[in-house]
Amino acid sequence: MTGDVQVLAAPAGSCHINIKGCGYPAPGLQDFDFQTIFKIGGFHVTKPILIAILCAISVIVFFGVAFWRPKVVPRGVQNLGEMAILAVRDQILRPSLGRRGDSYLPFLVSLFFYIWLMNLMELIPFFQFPSMSRIGFVWPLVLMVYVLYWYLGFKNQGVWGYFRTMIPPGVPWFILPILLPVELARFFIVQPFTLGVRLFANMFAGHLLLTIFYLATWYMLSLSIGLLFFVGSAFMVVFVFLLELLVDLLQAFIFTTLTATYIADSLERAH
Amino acid sequence: MSSYRSRAAAASSAEGGARGIGVGWTVFSYLIGGMVAYGGIGWLVGRGIHAAWPFPVGMLTGLGISLGYIIFRYGRQGAVEEGRGNR
Repeated sequence: MTGDVQVLAAPAGSCHINIKGCGYPAPGLQDFDFQTIFKIGGFHVTKPILIAILCAISVIVFFGVAFWRPKVVPRGVQNLGEMAILAVRDQILRPSLGRRGDSYLPFLVSLFFYIWLMNLMELIPFFQFPSMSRIGFVWPLVLMVYVLYWYLGFKNQGVWGYFRTMIPPGVPWFILPILLPVELARFFIVQPFTLGVRLFANMFAGHLLLTIFYLATWYMLSLSIGLLFFVGSAFMVVFVFLLELLVDLLQAFIFTTLTATYIADSLERAH
Repeated sequence: MSSYRSRAAAASSAEGGARGIGVGWTVFSYLIGGMVAYGGIGWLVGRGIHAAWPFPVGMLTGLGISLGYIIFRYGRQGAVEEGRGNR
């Protein structure tokens, strides 16, 4: 927010009416850096951290309230909570894991709604920043998913058995040394990297796009530039906003679906 | 009956979607993984012999191996449905 305010303050204060000597304040990496709000010991608390904590608390409180004293016939918040859980179960968990994966439902529900809410924060006034656009917030989630993925795989098949089943049956033995580097690179580097970077990059690009068009709309609100450009940019703000509504949901869905397929993969090899 | 059918169709569609996402990203990971693995090997060889060419050659070799592997693993009709493709 501080980044946004700093950039907005320049054109709003003097430049956008009389643009002589002023340029378009192009958004950039500075919009993803935030000043410290307060410190706890040596730990600097910034806006993205507060958003992350708020989202975690919101998800916990919502499901806590929904299922505090569950009724046989759900009403009010419990109804909403059940709809949310059933949506994750039927669209993400069951297609990948089937009924035997129901014990992982709390994990997937928490993951999905936490990521979704974190993403939606880029569109909610006052917050207006997706913490997932800072890659440091994504890696702990990836680490959590991967620790579970490997733990389940190693537990079910043992370390050697787990890696042995990486290569599909029917591959000639002399091809194995050629395929091994590809499998190891995919398993240890590329797959966790793409899982994290996809979420981060989508949120980063989305926030940058929104900032570009917000600023352009404000900047072009001047007769000396032309109202036509202002209208075009304002249209793009609405368009990108709606697009981001979809992207926020889609990224949460993809991350959780891939988590479910990884868990299914670790469990399947045991059978 | 029709409600049961529509639910079954929706479940089947969701299952296909989940499998599709998993397989799609796995294929993508193989393509990049091949280039990373053999590009890395090429880079190490290049450092050893003080030459630049093993790095791009390694990347291209890795890409070729990945493509062949993907065709072997997923190219056959029904390979994904057999459950080999979720990884």
